[in-house]
Amino acid sequence: MGHSELTGELIPRHLNVRVIAKDNLETFLGGLREFGEVFGPVEKERGAYIYAQLTDVKNVVQDAQRTVLPPKKYLYPQKEELFRFSTQEGYRKPESVDKGRKILFGVHPCDIHGLSILDKVFAGRYHEPRYFDRRDNLIIIGMNCLPDERCFCYSMGTDWVEKGFDLFLTELEDSYFVKIGTSCGEDLVHAQAELFRPVTDEDIQLYKERVNERNKMFVNRVELANLPQILELEYESEVWEELGRKCLSCGACSAVCPTCYCYEVYDVLDLNVETGSRIRRWDACLFKDFAKVAGGHNFREERSTRVKHRFYHKQVTFVEEFGRPSCVGCGRCVTQCPAGINLIDVFKEIRGEKVVHKSAR
Amino acid sequence: MPDRVGFDITTARTGFNTFPERVGLDILSERVGKQDPHKPEPARLVRIDPMVEDHWLFQFRFVEERLNREFSYRPGQFVMLSVIGVGEAPISISSSPTRPGMIELCVRRTGRVTDALYRLKENDLVGIRGPYGNGFNVDKLKGNDLLIIAGGLGMAPLRSLVWYVLDNRKDFGDINLMYGARTSGDLLFKNEIDLLLNRKDIKCLLIVERVQYEHRVNWRGHTGLITDLFKHVEVNPKSTYAAICGPPVMYKFVLQKLLELEFSKDRILMSLERKMKCGIGKCAHCTIGYKYTCIHGPIFTYWDAMNLPEMI
Amino acid sequence: MSKPKIGIFGLTSCAGDQLAILNCEDELLDIVGAVDIKSFIMAQSELKAVQDQMEDSRFDLALVEGAVVTDEDEKMLKKIRDNTKLLIAIGTCAAWGGIPASRNDLEREELYQIVYGRREDLFGCHKPRPLRDFVQVDFSLLGCPIEKEEILRAFSSLLHEDVPVLPTFPVCFECKLNENLCIFKEKDDLCHGSVTLAGCGARCPSHGVPCRGCRGPVDEANIPSVYHLMKEKGYPVADVERALRTFTYNAEIPQ
Repeated sequence: MGHSELTGELIPRHLNVRVIAKDNLETFLGGLREFGEVFGPVEKERGAYIYAQLTDVKNVVQDAQRTVLPPKKYLYPQKEELFRFSTQEGYRKPESVDKGRKILFGVHPCDIHGLSILDKVFAGRYHEPRYFDRRDNLIIIGMNCLPDERCFCYSMGTDWVEKGFDLFLTELEDSYFVKIGTSCGEDLVHAQAELFRPVTDEDIQLYKERVNERNKMFVNRVELANLPQILELEYESEVWEELGRKCLSCGACSAVCPTCYCYEVYDVLDLNVETGSRIRRWDACLFKDFAKVAGGHNFREERSTRVKHRFYHKQVTFVEEFGRPSCVGCGRCVTQCPAGINLIDVFKEIRGEKVVHKSAR
Repeated sequence: MPDRVGFDITTARTGFNTFPERVGLDILSERVGKQDPHKPEPARLVRIDPMVEDHWLFQFRFVEERLNREFSYRPGQFVMLSVIGVGEAPISISSSPTRPGMIELCVRRTGRVTDALYRLKENDLVGIRGPYGNGFNVDKLKGNDLLIIAGGLGMAPLRSLVWYVLDNRKDFGDINLMYGARTSGDLLFKNEIDLLLNRKDIKCLLIVERVQYEHRVNWRGHTGLITDLFKHVEVNPKSTYAAICGPPVMYKFVLQKLLELEFSKDRILMSLERKMKCGIGKCAHCTIGYKYTCIHGPIFTYWDAMNLPEMI
Repeated sequence: MSKPKIGIFGLTSCAGDQLAILNCEDELLDIVGAVDIKSFIMAQSELKAVQDQMEDSRFDLALVEGAVVTDEDEKMLKKIRDNTKLLIAIGTCAAWGGIPASRNDLEREELYQIVYGRREDLFGCHKPRPLRDFVQVDFSLLGCPIEKEEILRAFSSLLHEDVPVLPTFPVCFECKLNENLCIFKEKDDLCHGSVTLAGCGARCPSHGVPCRGCRGPVDEANIPSVYHLMKEKGYPVADVERALRTFTYNAEIPQ
């Protein structure tokens, strides 16, 4: 079926939506390899989903819960070589810079918001070229998900996306409602147009029902109104001391956070003592020497001040800088914290609401 | 295989909008060129002046001659200095933009990177990128009196300001410099300080806790703590900006004095130190509250400082 | 410039750290090219008493594996210290006492009885202790055994008169970078990742095995919090404490 036949059947306002049968999805993903390497959520071990390359599209988990690491790892890898250096010539770009097009399937709305927050961080006056080279080459196929007890995206305003994706899928009965977000997204659909069909009135009805049902499924509510002000007022609260006693300073929350971006840069010298690499790796503000300057003074010596700093950076200072909290409510930190620190409870406590303490899990 | 009549991967590529349009973030329009803000420019160490033990002055010139002409900065800004094979550290610029052609950095030997810098020889290659930070807003300072208060290594960034204002002397009112150190032997830029003591267009006051024996004969300063110097200067807080840099303990007492003199909090400018890994507002090591020391600082008004937890 | 002189020595240990150096197969030629290895009994075909090798040369860098268990260990360690500019402890035995020290809560006689069925001291040995209890240690490479990447980084940095910058954070962080399911949280197993120094790339948890803490405690290990969490999961405190002491008996473990 050619392009014109397909569009011919559509009324213009429905040009940017299609429907694909669930049975066709794997075929579609397989066909996407023509455009680049295809990545999507797979089950690494029971209950642990990760984004991985779909060498076999059958491995994709279409209804995967949150992945351990967010998609930021594809734009801003855990560890990367910034430069090669030599004592004779200084610093130059490393030879292997991956330039390949990647297609990321199954990105949830919170993670799409997470990426757009990282975009802001890495843009600005000092643009990070490595990030944006990869960003320009990343095609995003979003997927609507259903919340579990750790999701609080609804409160963070990140439960839904209007942009930031090339295609966005919402589950209907046996099919997905496909929103085409970009011209590139349309190219992807067009390349395998026979797998898609135009939307019908029933699809639209079903779609609306699904969206409404989903909205009712969010059980966690974090009241955001005045949160920065309340946090500022509660700067000396005992809550932070308590968290400092609990926190293991392991940095798991930062590693898995879709919007944590801080990094460490260090040089690794080759054995010839002439050449080497400048490496950047993810860092975490919970680590003891994060704010320690040469000479030994540590601006955040106490663990409680570091825990507090992380909360404030997400919820107060990011608002000052970019107009919204950098938290997207994905629930990863809640899921991964080995000490069972639950951000939702922390905010309730700070707001003076009653918190029912659960065990570490 | 799916039917791809009339479809060509290359058109798909061109059809693939570049990212800014796809997501529509205005902030991205700022992207200019493709230069890498992390890339250090090669520079050579041209002169080492071992002024004071573990407080040496290093002079650098970029390998690329164009950069020596084009590198412009404000007093109070800093560079990221790479000692190749060891790492990178933020160092405030001690030279004045009014004397271009080279960059001078007064570096205390205090960590791995600075330790390695002290092992370098003249003509060795290093990497420099910058300048970074806000620096002193010299345009705003124009027409005002200045009270420059330096403690110890705090003289390093303030020396830049001192020479800047002296080289543009007619733009400024009265200039008072207070400089304190532990002993007379710890005073940095000694030869220049002697010149300043002889100048009529700047009042230069020195104070040390102890005058070393060999300096007793010609000692032209005071003994005591830096705050003792306040009784020797007359400042009008309405027309004066105070620029302070020194060890954290000094700020507390100096700020108290300035507030007693009824300085407005935004007329007190302080240079702060934090750990930095990027200098460009990304790595987040230097955050204080919602400010990044590297881009919003290192010069903060006392008003900012008061309103940011953990500032001093 | 003459090449720095290196000595690699083993006290009471399994020699696994010396083997880890030999296992740097691809880099061995580079290592030998960069340094002059004056003594490395494990890799020598011509055997000469270590004492004699020490008489012959002074070292720029001595890497010492193992815990100090016998009088000979102590004597040799002091001799090495006297003959080297820098002394690097390699492996957790050298840095913390390691496995040999894990039952330092018992007296030797009692241990002889358990192991050999009699109370007699067959070897003249004392409670195993780390090198730093006897001599100044300039730097420690941790792990059981040490990590290849850290060995190479230590070599190149030390040759450059610098100290290597190695992780100071816990294994948990590396474990998350590898996207593992948390053994401690999700499988309720006693995993030491949160209190153990990273640098191993979370090797064990990435293979589904709980971290046993072989790299020693991270600075500021929050052990009271771990106790509390394990208690919630139903582990007796004694189990937790014993586990924490497996590799680093001498570490301070608050109650």
